[in-house]
Amino acid sequence: MLKIRNGRDFVGGATMILVGLLFIWFGRELEAGNSFQMGPGYFPTMLSLILMALGALIIGQSLVVEAEQDGPETWNWKAYGLVILAPIGFGLVLAGLGLAPTMFFLIVGVASASRYANWRHSILLGLFLAACCVLLFTKLLSLPVSAFGPWVPFVGGLS
Amino acid sequence: MDIFSNLWLGASTAFLPMNLFYGFIGCLLGTAIGVLPGLGPTATIAMLLPITFGLPPESALIMLAGIFYGAQYGGSTTAVLINLPGESSSVVTAIDGYQMARNGRAGAALATAALGSFFAGTVATILLAVAAPPLASVALNFGPAEYFSLMVLGLVASVALASGSLLKAMAMIVFGLLLGTVGTDVESGTPRYVFDVPELYDGLNFVAVSMGIFGICEILRNLENEQERSVGVKRVTGLMLTREDFRRIRWPVLRGTALGSFLGVLPGGGAMLASFASYAMEKRLSPNGAEFGKGAIEGVAAPESANNAGAQTSFIPMLTLGIPGNPVMALMVGAMILQGITPGPNVISDEPDLFWGMIVSMWSGNLMLVILNLPLIGLWVRMLTVPYHLLFPAIIGFCCIGAYSINNSVFDVFVMAGFSVVGFALSKMRFEPAPLLLGFILGPMLEENLRRAMLISQGDPTIFVRSPLSLSLLLVAVVVLGLVLSPSISRKREEAFTE
Repeated sequence: MLKIRNGRDFVGGATMILVGLLFIWFGRELEAGNSFQMGPGYFPTMLSLILMALGALIIGQSLVVEAEQDGPETWNWKAYGLVILAPIGFGLVLAGLGLAPTMFFLIVGVASASRYANWRHSILLGLFLAACCVLLFTKLLSLPVSAFGPWVPFVGGLS
Repeated sequence: MDIFSNLWLGASTAFLPMNLFYGFIGCLLGTAIGVLPGLGPTATIAMLLPITFGLPPESALIMLAGIFYGAQYGGSTTAVLINLPGESSSVVTAIDGYQMARNGRAGAALATAALGSFFAGTVATILLAVAAPPLASVALNFGPAEYFSLMVLGLVASVALASGSLLKAMAMIVFGLLLGTVGTDVESGTPRYVFDVPELYDGLNFVAVSMGIFGICEILRNLENEQERSVGVKRVTGLMLTREDFRRIRWPVLRGTALGSFLGVLPGGGAMLASFASYAMEKRLSPNGAEFGKGAIEGVAAPESANNAGAQTSFIPMLTLGIPGNPVMALMVGAMILQGITPGPNVISDEPDLFWGMIVSMWSGNLMLVILNLPLIGLWVRMLTVPYHLLFPAIIGFCCIGAYSINNSVFDVFVMAGFSVVGFALSKMRFEPAPLLLGFILGPMLEENLRRAMLISQGDPTIFVRSPLSLSLLLVAVVVLGLVLSPSISRKREEAFTE
């Protein structure tokens, strides 16, 4: 009776097979051609097949070789959520709010992911970095983004 | 002598006040991030790449290179003083370095690290200057078949030298190669895996990908087990080494330099592997082997020389063949492309100022680091008192704006966020991210050369074994793979990594 001895590797191998399948599925319309005149689909398909074979081998290994003991996994969902969503939020509001407020909210928001965060520090850090970024990126490097965007009343759009 | 006129040309570039200044900034930044755990040279260089657009190519590359080798110096400082290696390459330095510090010999340990690094850096720079031109002229005769075989060898070697499971490292390379196929196919102009997103027609941006995988993902991991650092360091005194010390570190430094220079050239090698291997070797060879782990000065001298030598010589394949051996070199290749320079054997002849300027700047950078580091140790240690909960929001902020400024588009920010999730999931499954980035960078080159070679040979795959050069490269790859897979060696390899 086969038993999964290394759950992490089993999942890892399965993920690799899934990735291979995804690349084959989304590349199904690409012309593969032949080995003389390789089409755009030849190389990715070949790679996907290799990746799936490797995934199968990893799964095979996970059934035979015992997992090494290491410490229990710790998860910190609040931190993951904040750190991953922060750049997405940054991207969504940058054009509207402008660099300074976006940066400030990003810093204050993401800082709360830490269990040592304190509001006073985060706000000061946010203000400081917002000022630095405006100075460095819009003034010195002339990035095409204004300090305050059209969503900000009174000063918005003036840059 | 040819080499002297070349070095003279390099010196005239590297010693321009502006380039000295950027080199200095690079070294300073590199030392700072080397001191700070949780922020490595890969993420920093990725973050700063967009800012270097406006600089001339020489200054940009000199600064980025300075960050890389500056980090090697900075990492050892904290390893010795507070047993906290700032970089993976100084993990072994902490073993004996911290014990020396506890015995009141912190100054001697730091001086050994700095002098060993400087010696190794000097030797490796000379090696680079001597070895690069002939290597590049060989590479100029490479056809597509030879290039393909060379890249296969590089990828195989990077698997062999990676830590952890071989199968998983291979899977990461293939995954990276697949990600490299996203975008418009060069040969036929067909868009691949773009899902009608116009931004994807140029492919995934590698700066955004590497910031996600290395920068943001690192933060996610660090926040899992967040601990406040408590730093208590005594004043460092007694930087001078005694005659006895010099006698003891003489051979370890030489051996470390030799081993590090060799390992640095190999793809997937570089600083970290060099420091581990040289520590293990020194432990066997040294007459004071029993003292290792209890504060042996040899245990600081050897890995510190080796990691610096390895860091410098890992530039050789990048500068001569255009093939990066580690993620930092992959970013350097990216920096060159952004500056409009095609990396490869032509760089030496087409851009001699840049090439020789960079080599000389490595030596001058190392000199700056020795002068900079020893008196400023107090400052570096004080930097450690910046708490992580103030540091990581700033890193995320700079990553976001860095990703945005690559193409002035928020799409790259989303790519970065997406790849932080990918990198995090992979690291939870214990996949190493470094081979993925190598595969991603080499993917398009690999495919192009494969297709060209097959076109030349009219679909006959024997083209890869008919050219003697290509055949020998492939044979070496097979031998390397065979060695790693053979049971006795793989056991030794495991031992080497656990040591």
